[in-house]
Amino acid sequence: MNGRLRAVWPPVIIAVIFLAAWQLLVVVQDIKPFLLPSPSLILGNFFGDFSLMFNAALYTGTTAILGLMFGTVVGLVTALIAQRFGVVNKLITPLAAGLATVPIIALTPILNNMFSITSRTPKVIITMIIVFFPIFVNVTRGLIQVQPVQLELMRSMNARPRTVLRQLRIPNAIPFFFTAMKIAAPLSVIAALVSEYFGGPQQGLGSRIASSAANTAYGRAWAYVVASIITGLIFYLIVLAVERWAAPWTGRARSA
Amino acid sequence: MSVTSPVSTTAVQATGIWKVFNEGQANEVTALQDINLTVAPGEFISLIGPSGCGKSTLLRVIADLTQPTKGSAEVAGMSAAEARKQQRYGMAFQQAALFDWRTVQRNVELPLELQGWSKSDRAARAMELLEMVQLADFASHRPWELSGGMQQRVAIARSLAVDPPLLLMDEPFGALDEMTRERMQNELLRIRQETGKSVIFVTHSIPEAVYLSDRVVVMSPRPGRITDIVSVSLGERDEDTREADAFYASVTEVREALRGRTSGGAARARVGEV
Ligand SMILES: Nc1ncnc2c1ncn2[C@@H]1O[C@H](COP(=O)(O)OP(=O)(O)OP(=O)(O)O)[C@@H](O)[C@H]1O
Ligand SMILES: [Mg+2]
Repeated sequence: MNGRLRAVWPPVIIAVIFLAAWQLLVVVQDIKPFLLPSPSLILGNFFGDFSLMFNAALYTGTTAILGLMFGTVVGLVTALIAQRFGVVNKLITPLAAGLATVPIIALTPILNNMFSITSRTPKVIITMIIVFFPIFVNVTRGLIQVQPVQLELMRSMNARPRTVLRQLRIPNAIPFFFTAMKIAAPLSVIAALVSEYFGGPQQGLGSRIASSAANTAYGRAWAYVVASIITGLIFYLIVLAVERWAAPWTGRARSA
Repeated sequence: MSVTSPVSTTAVQATGIWKVFNEGQANEVTALQDINLTVAPGEFISLIGPSGCGKSTLLRVIADLTQPTKGSAEVAGMSAAEARKQQRYGMAFQQAALFDWRTVQRNVELPLELQGWSKSDRAARAMELLEMVQLADFASHRPWELSGGMQQRVAIARSLAVDPPLLLMDEPFGALDEMTRERMQNELLRIRQETGKSVIFVTHSIPEAVYLSDRVVVMSPRPGRITDIVSVSLGERDEDTREADAFYASVTEVREALRGRTSGGAARARVGEV
């Protein structure tokens, strides 16, 4: 408990000092809100319109969760296939690396045209594709990078490939999976949010940030940014909690 | 006391084993050249020799983890492949190779699980083995909570799980400090005495080889081959064994064999000259 407190305090103190300095700077220098609103203005908007914030976060968060779920499932299945068939791995991995350089988000307008204007689906698809890469790459690595001596041990015990997968490869890949999820979960929020800039339903965080800024409601635009950060943080913390619970051996020194 | 396989009077029979890596290529290595070795049931054999002389390769051929280029290995009267399928040997490596996601007890249970033992039978057997290596109190711990020596004891317990007649051990104490190592050696001898198993034990330590073994197989590299086999007769080991003259005599004999000046060979050469 003590250790955890000690780990929590420094960032909190730094955040408070940072916000105080920010507030001071805006007030003393009389900086205009369209350049940089003060923390008090942003937080005033955030708590003042909390239900708006919450609903927008709920909409974008739902998109993110759907994309995250589908992207994770597809990533896991592809990783299992890639591990099982070495050739596939040699084909998919460069392909995945190549695709990762494509600005997927930029495909949103095209996808928007393929679905109805009120549809959430294009954003879910975009989020899913973006989530797919880190999951696929990391989990494949986890399935393949098993200690050779552990593989020999399994063979000496006459384990079938299916048993090796279940008892060795998959548990070995779990820390890799959570490492990927810690990237993918906040990333899914960003992807869902940014994809909203390209049209479609207007109730999400991304749309609200854009429309508030367009209406010169800078305090509120920033309040939505705060809501976005909190949403991403919640995603991250959920992954962290699940990891602690499901894979307590991760991050430990490997036994020799 | 001695556990004998019903179908065979030899624990291990290696016949004319060759292992050539990268055959026909520039980096061709003859890791094993015409290895012939018979291990009697209940016998403790050490393999010793400089790095790269093929000790691990020989062990891996016997374990059917790799195929010999020529020749064959038999374990308990059956082919190495069949012996592996029937789990007629247990294996321990320099690394404990425990699974971090399993408790100590469930690590020991792993071979039993693969053989389809029931949960309660597995647990009972694992506890019996953990008591044997004096780690019963750590059954529910995770591997990373154990010291290197304790992890190695867990690995040894695991290799004994299905009660195989043969143990193949590749430098299992290589990473341990001298004190722990000597304790582990005594423990291994006690286990072997209790269970009557045959052991093939790879080591770089001459005293370790002499202390543990009935016979020390001396190997030499490029090409990897057996150059000498030193018989050790020290009787029952105890605290005084390591200081006994007979112990030093055997250590010297192995050391000279490693240098290529075998006493027997030298004598033969002299006979030839006369
Ligand atoms: N998979 C492999 N491919 C190519 N060469 C190999 C392979 N495995 C072993 N060798 C070679 O075979 C020779 C014997 O190797 P081995 O590991 O059996 O030696 P060792 O006696 O166990 O050495 P050490 O004491 O260092 O463990 C070495 O020259 C090694 O380079
Ligand atoms: Mg070796």
